[in-house]
Order: sequence, then structure tokens, then C-alpha cells
Amino acid sequence: MFIQFLVFRIFISALGIGLFVWAIISFKNKRLIENIPTSKIRSIAMGLVEIYGEVVGRKDNILKSPFSQKDCVYYRYKIEEYRSSGKSSHWATIRKGSDYVYFYIKDDTGMVLIDPKDAKIDIPADNVFNSSIGKDPSFKIQQFLQREKVRFEGSIFGINRTLRYTEYFIEPYDKLYILGTAADNPFVKDASTFKGVDDVIIKKGKHEKFYYISDRSEKMILSRLNLIVLCGFVFGSLLIILGIISFIW
Amino acid sequence: MDMFGVILLIALFLIIIILSVSFLIIYNNFVRLRNNISKSLANIDVLLKQRSNEIPNLVKTVKGYMKHEKEVLESLTKARSFLINSDTLSQKAAADNAITGLVKSIFAIAENYPDLKAGENFLKLQKRITGLENELADRREFYNDSVTIYNIRIQSIPDLVVARMMHLNPIDLFKATKKDQEKVDINLK
Repeated sequence: MFIQFLVFRIFISALGIGLFVWAIISFKNKRLIENIPTSKIRSIAMGLVEIYGEVVGRKDNILKSPFSQKDCVYYRYKIEEYRSSGKSSHWATIRKGSDYVYFYIKDDTGMVLIDPKDAKIDIPADNVFNSSIGKDPSFKIQQFLQREKVRFEGSIFGINRTLRYTEYFIEPYDKLYILGTAADNPFVKDASTFKGVDDVIIKKGKHEKFYYISDRSEKMILSRLNLIVLCGFVFGSLLIILGIISFIW
Repeated sequence: MDMFGVILLIALFLIIIILSVSFLIIYNNFVRLRNNISKSLANIDVLLKQRSNEIPNLVKTVKGYMKHEKEVLESLTKARSFLINSDTLSQKAAADNAITGLVKSIFAIAENYPDLKAGENFLKLQKRITGLENELADRREFYNDSVTIYNIRIQSIPDLVVARMMHLNPIDLFKATKKDQEKVDINLK
């Protein structure tokens, strides 16, 4: 009982500190987003830039999303299993992965190449599928599971496991907000060509740690960050106070 | 110390942390904002210079054709020297406005000279200068957006407190004052 209570107190305090730190980081990021005006693509200058535009995929270099097999330039997936022991139950991730290709972003002034490597990609789940007893996953999912050597059937009598398949992806024509570093495009040999737009690539900078891609508008991103900052400071503080008091008494 | 006292003490401690961290973030933001503004102004300067470098080529190319529009070409040359010798942001903006207007006039007049319009040199120059004009317009807009964000920040709470401590003052937009615009116009006449 004492150990359980101790764990609870440590958990509460750690959660409070975590929320507090999260609020601080979100506040910093919110300020960064607010302080950088959106650039027109044709006149992007080197350094940290903010752009907003439509995804243009390259037909010769496109991915397929893992579960729905849709054309995309980035995907992330996770497969979770429903596990229960006694009264408690939870979803445990048994496999996850991601992949990307370079793609372009287009606005009404031009087009720029994007290297999404190491970006924080903030997009909601596009599809969530389930399989369980009496419900097999779709043929496309089964093909994927076969390739990844994941069994949807359990070891006892081949009864289906309760699995959840979630995929997130960025498709051509999606509108994206990007805050990243504009640098010389390594794929263009002559950097002095007219216009310079083709000479630029957006990627994670050497000195700028923040590289963010989202399919939300800037306004929505900022209101979400505002909420996180507010909740993080309020609930974080309350939990820290609660945690410390529980240690004292 | 009773429980209420402890809660008060912890809350006070957390408030101090929040305030200190906010101060640091706001301070660093101002440093970044000022650097962004300097950088975006430098980016405008680069394009102004590139466009200025193309003006003698443009004048040379169209001079043979536009004998009756000699004063437009002379004004363009004058506006270019005004830009090169301008010291303030407002003077630069005034010269930039004048050049933009004169270049537009030359391109419009060129419509009356089919031989000139079809010439490879002229077409190349027109494309290059129009491209630079478009980029300049974007960068002017970007600079003005950056300055507006900065000016709003230094006048709003809580940033105002940090801005006062850093002795920050509002920055001018990339816009010609009436006086400088008149100065350029008189110079061109």
C-alpha cells in the first residue's frame, strides 16, 4: 500500500513537471510561429522560413500508404494490440514505422522542394481499422501484415487477435503549413540560375532545431498551442503542488 | 507552517519560474525579431542592387528605339543614382517606387516598337526585371509584415515590459515619406 502510494505521488509530481515543461516548450514554439511571417515561395530567402501551400507529388517517386494503399509522400503507421490483465486493459503498440519521399509545395507564386527528414509532422490520423474475433482485416492490410511478418491470428486455435491499425499520411493536394530552413538545393548544379526558386530546398537546419510540418492552418496551430500552454501551466502547477503536498504529509 | 502556507509558497515559486522563463523567451524573441528585420532588409537591398545593375543594360537596349522618350530613360538613370546614393529607408523606398513606375512605363512604351519587343535581348531583360520586381514586391511585403509584428509586440503586454527594459523603439515600414517621394519626383523632373 505504501509503495503504491509512493509510486502514485512520484507519478503525479512527474506528470506535473512534464506538463509544465511541455507548456514552456509550446510557448516558445508558439512565439516562433507568430514571429515569422509567411513567405511567398518565389521569393524565399535562405534561413528559417514559413510557407503554406499545396503538396505536389512526383509521379516517379510516390509512396503507398500502408493500409489503404493511397498515393502519398509521407506516411506513419502503428499497429496496436488490445491487452487485458485482470481489471486493467490497454492498447499496446506492437509495430510502428514511417517512410517519406521528397516532395514539392506549391503556392500561387512558385514551387519549392521539401525534404521532410527529421521534421515534426503534426497530422491527424487518416484511417483507423480494426480486426478482432470474427472480423478479419482487409485484404490490403493482410498483404501489409504478411510483408511485415505480423500475424493477426493468435496462436490459440488461430483466433484473431484484437488489433487496431492506424495510419497517418500526406497526400498530393493536401495543404501544408511548413516552418523550416531554406537552404541550397543539392540537386541543382547551377545555383546562379534565374529566379533561384529551383535552387532552394526546405529542410531541417543545422542550427535551427525546429522543423515543423502540419496540415492545419497557422491559426489552428496557434490556437492549439495556446490551449496547450494554458492547460500545461495550470494543470502542471496544480499537479506539482499536489505532488509536493503529498510528499510533505 | 500550515498547509495553506506551503501551497502559497509552492504557487509563488511556480509563478516566479513562469515569469522568469517567459522573460527569457520574450527577450530571445525580440533578438530574433530584430535580426529577422535586418535580414529581410538586407534581402531587399540585394534585389534592389540586382535590379539597379540591369538598368544600364535596359537603357542601352531601348535607347536606339525610344528617341522620342528620351526623358523617361534619363529619369530612370537619375532614379538609379538616387537609389545608389540614398541613406535612409524612406529614400530607398521613394527611389524604388520611382524606378518601378519608370520601368513599367518603358515596358508599356515598348509595345509601340514591334522590333524592340521581339528582340531577344529586350525579352530577356524584361523577363529578368519583371522577375526581380515580383520578388521585390514579396520581400517588401515580408519586411513590412516582420516590422508590423515587431511594432505590435513592443507595444503589447507583457512584451512591453521587456521591450522597455531593452530600450526598443518602433521601426519604420518600407515606405517613402511624402517629403522623400517629392524629393525624388523633383529630381526626376
